[in-house]
Amino acid sequence: MTTPAFGVEPGQAFAPREFGPITITDIVRYQGASGDLNPMHHDDEMARNAGYPASFSVGMLGAGYLATYCTELFGARSVRRFRTRFRKVVYRGEVLTAQAVVRGTRGSGGDARVELGLALFDSSGAVVVDGSAEFLLGEANTVGIGGV
Amino acid sequence: MAVMPIERGKIREYAAATGASRPEYLDDPFAPIPPTFLATVVFWDDLPRVFEFPETRAACAAIGMVPDVRRLLSLEQEYLFHGEILHAGETVSTGLRLDSVDLEEGRSGSRAMVRFTVTFTDSAGELRAECRYTSAFLATVGRSV
Repeated sequence: MTTPAFGVEPGQAFAPREFGPITITDIVRYQGASGDLNPMHHDDEMARNAGYPASFSVGMLGAGYLATYCTELFGARSVRRFRTRFRKVVYRGEVLTAQAVVRGTRGSGGDARVELGLALFDSSGAVVVDGSAEFLLGEANTVGIGGV
Repeated sequence: MAVMPIERGKIREYAAATGASRPEYLDDPFAPIPPTFLATVVFWDDLPRVFEFPETRAACAAIGMVPDVRRLLSLEQEYLFHGEILHAGETVSTGLRLDSVDLEEGRSGSRAMVRFTVTFTDSAGELRAECRYTSAFLATVGRSV
């Protein structure tokens, strides 16, 4: 059954959004905001000593970009579930592209939800963060969809 | 357990840091939290204490490893939200529990997968959000590093 609901149907994709190029300032700002002050994300010397070519971005910053992308599409108050998995290290200078595809819809009335597959790609096309999410599909939450 | 206020300024800061510009996040005194905002719980609660729980130590010992947070890798986080999304001005109480410890064999050796959950309960006692973490302790069993 692929019943279109609320203008959202399985397989539907949305216009991607780019984030970056990622700077040390972006990384440090996220570290300050999130409270994750692991120096591997801003101390090049420490990262090199651990075998990396340079310090690298925070996995949760990529997850945060995916979250921002989703809330632009489905609203700021409608998230019900948001899952992310870290797949690949991101270095400064990368441009990241967020994409979402509709996996399905479920529920009805005030609890009707869209199920999304999420991925954040680097400039080589590799997935750096992926995941899935559910957002409520109430009328007030779909303002972002019409413009896509 | 810790008490965590949901603060407007922190939401604004977190939204800006993740490239979010919706006015709900930036301008609303009762701004909703972004989907991954509860990562900021680390300002209020000490999550690594889950690795010191007797049940965590026992579960790790059962698969022959000693938890070492220096070898900890965060793999996955899942946020679940119940009822109205938490917003600025609310205060929540956190809870922390171990869910499971499993040994996994991978290409690069063994690792212990540790799953734990942080709960967020509001002042009325309602569970409003959960964060399920999956972390791994690397190179712990059968390898000399």
